[in-house]
Amino acid sequence: MTTAQRQHPDTSQAVRDGLRRNPRPAVVWAAFGAGLLALQIGALLEFGGSAALDTVRAFNAIDAVPLTVGTEALAGFEQAAAEIPRLLSRQTIPNNGLYSVESEEWVVGPVYYNGQEWVGTFLGLEPATAWALRAVLVYAYAFAGLAWLWTGYRWFRRYYRVADWTPRDDVVDRLRSHYWGLFGLFVVFIFLTTVLFGPALAPTTNQASNVDPYSYETQYWDAETESVETTAVGTANSQSASSGSTNVGLFSYDDYGRYHPFGTLPGGQDLFTFIMYGARLSLSIGLVAVGLSTFIAAAFAMASAYYKGRVDLGLILLSDSIMALPSLLLIIMLSVIFGGTWLANIYSGGLLLSLVFVATGWPGLWRAIRGPTLQTTEREWVDAARAFGLKPRTIMRKHVFPYIVGYLLVYGSMSLGGVIIGIAGLSYLGLGVNPPTPEWGRAIGLGQPYIGTPSWHISIVPGVLITIVVIGFNALGDGVRDAIDPKSDTETTDAKGVGRGGGA
Amino acid sequence: MKRFEYLVKRFLLAIPVVWLGTSFTWYAIFMGPIDPAAALVGQTDPSATGKIENIRTNLGLDQPPLQQYLDYMSDVLVFDLGQTWVVYSGTEVNSLILQFLPRTLWLGFWSVVIAVFIGVPLGFYAGTRSNTLADYLTSFSGISWRAMPNFWLAAVLLSVLISSEALFGLQWESLGIQTDTITGNPGLGYMDGNPLALVTEPMNTLEAIKRVAPAALVLGSASMGNEIRIGRTAVMEVKNEQYIEFAKAKGVSGRQLVWKHVLRNALVPLVPIITTEAFLLIGGSVLVETVFGINGMGVLFLDAAINGDIPVLGSLMYVFILVLVGVNFLQDVLYTVIDPRIALEDSG
Repeated sequence: MTTAQRQHPDTSQAVRDGLRRNPRPAVVWAAFGAGLLALQIGALLEFGGSAALDTVRAFNAIDAVPLTVGTEALAGFEQAAAEIPRLLSRQTIPNNGLYSVESEEWVVGPVYYNGQEWVGTFLGLEPATAWALRAVLVYAYAFAGLAWLWTGYRWFRRYYRVADWTPRDDVVDRLRSHYWGLFGLFVVFIFLTTVLFGPALAPTTNQASNVDPYSYETQYWDAETESVETTAVGTANSQSASSGSTNVGLFSYDDYGRYHPFGTLPGGQDLFTFIMYGARLSLSIGLVAVGLSTFIAAAFAMASAYYKGRVDLGLILLSDSIMALPSLLLIIMLSVIFGGTWLANIYSGGLLLSLVFVATGWPGLWRAIRGPTLQTTEREWVDAARAFGLKPRTIMRKHVFPYIVGYLLVYGSMSLGGVIIGIAGLSYLGLGVNPPTPEWGRAIGLGQPYIGTPSWHISIVPGVLITIVVIGFNALGDGVRDAIDPKSDTETTDAKGVGRGGGA
Repeated sequence: MKRFEYLVKRFLLAIPVVWLGTSFTWYAIFMGPIDPAAALVGQTDPSATGKIENIRTNLGLDQPPLQQYLDYMSDVLVFDLGQTWVVYSGTEVNSLILQFLPRTLWLGFWSVVIAVFIGVPLGFYAGTRSNTLADYLTSFSGISWRAMPNFWLAAVLLSVLISSEALFGLQWESLGIQTDTITGNPGLGYMDGNPLALVTEPMNTLEAIKRVAPAALVLGSASMGNEIRIGRTAVMEVKNEQYIEFAKAKGVSGRQLVWKHVLRNALVPLVPIITTEAFLLIGGSVLVETVFGINGMGVLFLDAAINGDIPVLGSLMYVFILVLVGVNFLQDVLYTVIDPRIALEDSG
């Protein structure tokens, strides 16, 4: 039995004792958390349902597996979860009416201007104010959640943890005084909140605005006939296009009383909604790609650092030959070659795209963490563990891996920004994610002819957002690196293979 | 002789890299899920089924895989890169490369030069005035340059240039040397068969430079950000060296101290950085060439990819591998010249 195993039951016993002696902080903390959760439980269940549904659908799309799984039960569950009221949703604080022709009922609303005042919006507010209120609530909720987590950590440290000090405390303290890293954390947190609450933030839905606009109707005030009229969303979109000569700019209404925080696209769709859903896609592709490639990179780095010699040389050759292929071109080639297969249909090509990024991205990450891993395996405790007769897998998992987790986080965060740029670049070229699925790069491409016109927002807004998000991820990476290893040479450890999405 | 041995070793290591990279490309293209012959025909004529068989024979797809592989590898070894099918159909790939590669190299060369001549001085400037407002502004602009997507920057710059008359009161086309359009290929034809024309016909050279200047600025933007960052650190490190203290104590004037002692030593870590940017340049060339309408290798590759001209993708990829491995080797040579310690350290 190792020391760690012997210590483990004692530590948790001590924590349990602490809880029994002084339960107040834990109870307060848990109650607050339950309150926060209760406000949004419907959204959580709905998200779980839709994630499960998507997975089952993706599974059914695999040709190689003959078996199909029924989706009715899951769809029913998702439907039921969607009915549960919650704080942050378009239904609670409406700013825009949507009538579904298919199910013959109002999804939100009806919302319209009756000549004197707004009908159907939250408290009769103007749609812009209602939308802004919802956005403020979303971010307030997210920050409350963050404060809750932080308080939990602080209280655990103060009331329940046995050790007065652990090395992790220093890391946290260093990050707290690293303003550049905190800026990165702030940007990344805002981005994650935006992605998580995207549907609640957006003024309309992607389905109604972008995918299937003629299956939804909306109501508006017709000033000429002085009456409230009904029209298809698609018809309204075609009258609200931003294409230089006609324009619906930033923070403005179109002729149908619909509010567009970021204006509209050349096809009249709401740009804010487009960007929200695009951010979801970019982040999920990016997270899958970076997660998988860090996993591969970590496994290979530990193997090459532990066995050295031939294993190391073989991996150097393999990674060198992948890195000798220009990555963006390789990504283009692979997405064309696999474009016709079943892989390309899952999540409108998203899964294929992230696998392609894994195939091209892991060598850079491996290169970046090989050095620190090599240093760790040369420490005396690894020798001791080996002499003790532990299996190589155990040594790597227990005595090497904990020391490289920080580096994985750093380089993972940095390469996530690169992947986001890469995805945008591909969809700008018309490759990658299939239309009409929203993607930031496609918005930039659509708006390019209008940059010099009043409709400049179509291209400029997504470009600026990408830049800010990438800066955020890089800054967070810098901050975490300085926090885990204050002596590291911050500039030179920046491996060339990490980040920048192959030059997109 | 240690240095020579090191270079030979690096060269020998490059051979399996080229071999593995090419084999991987071959496997993805000819053994992958897509049938190159069907992809070619699918784009040109959906009705002709006999045509597929013809192309299959022509590409050697009816041979057993090992034979195909050996044929392919021996073909690329002697630079028999085949012909195109859809893009510029029927042209030899070799002649296309001769036509397209100079434009990409021209663009790449100027993007490196512009990035170096803006990035390095800015980085040194920030480093010598560390922790002032000027330093923070420069560093932050470097960080932003690195984070901006190239294709977006290119699109914005292009629009600014198109409306340059309305914005700045002078037209980009007539600024300096008259050019008729903003986008398009740099006219390099005047150098055909006479490379000396680069110097003897300066007007043509300047026009060709002006043509690629905006594209080169965009393509070099990320490298520029890197060079600002590394130049700054290099100066700050050198500033704390003992010989600087010594020179100060000796009474060397401030200007001489900066020029002679700080900058010269700070240049050392920068040189290898510049060659590693080649990786980003080749990837980024696809997007930047597309936006600025330059018919270079990147655009050729993209056209071939979109039109299903899959065998051409393989041939182009082979050329890219050679270019990148060549640049890498060049970097090793530079390393050993600048910093002889490298050859001694890395002999393990």
